[in-house]
Amino acid sequence: MLRFVLFRLLHAIPLLIAVILVILLMLQFIPGDPVQAMVGDFPVSPEFRAAITQQYHLDDPFPVRVYSYFVNLLHGDFGYSYQFQRPVWDLIAESAPRTILLTLVGFLIAVPFGVLVGTVSGTTRSSRVDHFWTSTALVAYAIPTFWLGQLLVLVLAVHLGWFPTQGMGPLVSRAHGLSWFLERAHYIALPALAFAVHEGTRFARIMRASVADTLGQGYIVTARAKGLSRGAIIRGHVLRNSSLPLVTVAGYAFGAALGGAVLLETVFTWPGLGLLLVQAVRMRDNMTVVGIVIFAAIAVVVINLLVDLLYAALDPRIRGRG
Amino acid sequence: MSGGAANAGAALLEVRDLKVHLRVGGAIVRAVDGVDLTVMPGESIGIVGESGSGKSTLARGILKLMANVELAELQGDVRFQGKDLTRIADAELRALRRHGGFSMIFQDPLGYLNPTKRVGTQVAEALGGKWFAATRRRVEQLLEEAGLPASAQLARRFPHELSGGQRQRVMIAIALASEPALLFADEPTTALDATVQLQVLKTLGRLHRDRNMAMVVITHDLGVVAELCDRVYVMRSGKVVESGDTVELFENPRHPYAAQLIELSTRHRRPGPSAPGAAPSVPASPAEAR
Amino acid sequence: MEPPSTAPGPVRSAWRGFRAALGHMAGTRHGAVGCAILLVLAIVAIFAPLIAPYDPLQQAQASLTPPSMRDLFGTDNTGRDIFSLVIYGTRTSLAIGLGAAFGALVLSGLVGMLAGYFRGPVEAILMRLAELFQTLPVIVVVLFTVALFGSSFWLLLAAIILAIWPVEARLVYGQYLRLRSMDFVAAAKVADMSTIHIMLREILPNAIRPVIVQVALDASVAILIEAGLGFLGLSDPNTVSWGQLLYVAQDYMTIAWWTSFFPGAAICLAVVGLNLFADGLNEILDPRTRGRAGGLQS
Ligand SMILES: Nc1ncnc2c1ncn2[C@@H]1O[C@H](COP(=O)(O)OP(=O)(O)O)[C@@H](O)[C@H]1O
Ligand SMILES: [Mg+2]
Repeated sequence: MLRFVLFRLLHAIPLLIAVILVILLMLQFIPGDPVQAMVGDFPVSPEFRAAITQQYHLDDPFPVRVYSYFVNLLHGDFGYSYQFQRPVWDLIAESAPRTILLTLVGFLIAVPFGVLVGTVSGTTRSSRVDHFWTSTALVAYAIPTFWLGQLLVLVLAVHLGWFPTQGMGPLVSRAHGLSWFLERAHYIALPALAFAVHEGTRFARIMRASVADTLGQGYIVTARAKGLSRGAIIRGHVLRNSSLPLVTVAGYAFGAALGGAVLLETVFTWPGLGLLLVQAVRMRDNMTVVGIVIFAAIAVVVINLLVDLLYAALDPRIRGRG
Repeated sequence: MSGGAANAGAALLEVRDLKVHLRVGGAIVRAVDGVDLTVMPGESIGIVGESGSGKSTLARGILKLMANVELAELQGDVRFQGKDLTRIADAELRALRRHGGFSMIFQDPLGYLNPTKRVGTQVAEALGGKWFAATRRRVEQLLEEAGLPASAQLARRFPHELSGGQRQRVMIAIALASEPALLFADEPTTALDATVQLQVLKTLGRLHRDRNMAMVVITHDLGVVAELCDRVYVMRSGKVVESGDTVELFENPRHPYAAQLIELSTRHRRPGPSAPGAAPSVPASPAEAR
Repeated sequence: MEPPSTAPGPVRSAWRGFRAALGHMAGTRHGAVGCAILLVLAIVAIFAPLIAPYDPLQQAQASLTPPSMRDLFGTDNTGRDIFSLVIYGTRTSLAIGLGAAFGALVLSGLVGMLAGYFRGPVEAILMRLAELFQTLPVIVVVLFTVALFGSSFWLLLAAIILAIWPVEARLVYGQYLRLRSMDFVAAAKVADMSTIHIMLREILPNAIRPVIVQVALDASVAILIEAGLGFLGLSDPNTVSWGQLLYVAQDYMTIAWWTSFFPGAAICLAVVGLNLFADGLNEILDPRTRGRAGGLQS
């Protein structure tokens, strides 16, 4: 197990460095004025230009610039947003927890849903139940989250008035304890639901395929030969073994959601990382864009690493090794 | 036809005209095509035939343990302890599998053991015991009976942490847990090393004797049959081409295919000395082997 | 050692099998529906000027009128006919979908083939590269590229290809890995056929089946990404696209549901069509997906 951890770390760190290198390399090819590209649509005075050029080593060769960027990163310095007039790290630190909250709540719905529907559908293959869920999953998966968000807002928020249309509630709230929680839950319900529909049906699809695969395994025949009931086989052999691939898929999806909930957050104006990224792109605030993208890369690599370790801990075939 | 069948009363298992036809990529494979088979209580039967002759499908068809096949046709008469298995209710079938009926061990013990569960747990499951701790004693007994060293340590291992022979012994322990009247062993030694093969065969022979458990041993290896079986059925292309007492068949095969099988297996197995003039094809008498 | 003449055997049968598979599409529930949807969309895209009652950019109507016989899907805030916009939007979406899927196929096919056929450093470098590009979520890669370089049709297409190629490259790689050790490849090597010949004529036809399924899925991802970018208001403003209609609809949705509903439904239809098509293809290519005995029956 220890060897596996070390091996995975040795794999993750160069990957992360390479991803950041590619991102910085792409910055090289931005057409037009590099200073303007850094600060966004913003009038730039000559003194300011000189300061920026010096601070970010814009006149120095690429390796020097990369080196200084990495040094800054290691100090937690993601650059400065001239559009927001704040350090990029502050912006990220403020938005990321909101994205994590939304993602967590979404997963709390999506994972049980996916496991349940996938198992029911996979164990009753080619029956009417299965056909219903396969078709539903297919359509649900095809609905873009942002359109689903619009529809949910239209029906549940605008027409029925059950939920707020956007945002994550008052910044300062007098509510405490349970009422605070309910107030937040009110705001998070729709975005989390939209997220869960998409990811949940994807998980269901994967779970179904995995269940089907498990059912073809020899040990299921052994379980039948033992005289176990259908339910006992599902609980004892199918569920656990089929969930293993889902651990990886859901885990990776969690990492991706941290940087990639762009459309969802935009449609609900949920002030997380995704919305921040879109705003920065619209303002051509490339400092912030790069900062967020690099943060997302770090988040994905770290979470994927954790997921692989978790998988290894759950699967005795890997756990035993090394 | 044979001594075993003649002197006892009711048959334990009686199969009449069993047909198992599979659909394989549009075509229909007559994997089992009208097989008759009788097993008396406590008797040991061999089913031999080359790979693909339908031995496994026959066993699975009888026990209703088909896996990953598309059935085109399954018909015939299968009576076990007087019950018609083709028409039996699910619950009753499960009851037979849980206790005192039949069980089966498979050729590929790795694939037929759950990779994510400790082997002790998998044996305990066959005992109907949910909690490993509660059934621990019995599990250890069974593992020991199947020829594994008595140690709690081994029961706590995962299948991939065992050797091939150990895995097959775990399969045997699982099969024994339900105290079956009839044990099907589908190529129980094919996946094993030669030395381990012999040990596992001895274990099976011992269990057959000690428990007075009827056994159907499926193999393409006539040496195994000579070691374990009172009677033999020779299969080819889904049909039984010859059947009879083991010794008689070895001495005097009537069907050319059976003769060919015997010829082949004696050429490959045991090149060691055999008494001149003695029946050339019987490698070792069952008594010697034990 | 096999005589060289037997080497192309599996190749030809693979092609024949594949053609037969396409023929069987009509027989699978999913495949048939998928094919039908894609066919309709293709016809709509090709004959858009004949089908659309108005020029999509023409602003002659009253703004935000609900669906009626005159404007089937209603009009938007500037009085454009949404039905015509959706019809023309089909062109953009299909072009992006097909273009990205084809581009990704070429790129990933090349990478996967080279990595899968050769061992050693080529393999290591190419597959690391795929992993590298797979790290960030697709939408982030596209957004980042568009943010830096702009969002004209071709740039967007390039950005999407850049984001989606790794999945497919790994698939092709896996296929080649599996096939390169097979008998008929060995036979071709013995027969002294050139590497190029072996890669393209011997392995490719046998590797292509699961890849085709992935191409259909890639097209659907590309369409979703393009729509997403349009929805963020970041796609090429000079082309009509479904996503862009949703972007505009954001502000009027509460008073005019049709501005959001029809473009969104069009996206769903295209994505469902492609996924059904892929499903049908999968069902034919992988017989395991069909019902079989075993599993949980007692
Ligand atoms: N799962 C399966 N899929 C396709 N064909 C099968 C399957 N199982 C058995 N068959 C076919 O049925 C026939 C008998 O197979 P089997 O019973 O496994 O033979 P044996 O056990 O004697 O080697 C063979 O022709 C084999 O190809
Ligand atoms: Mg067999």
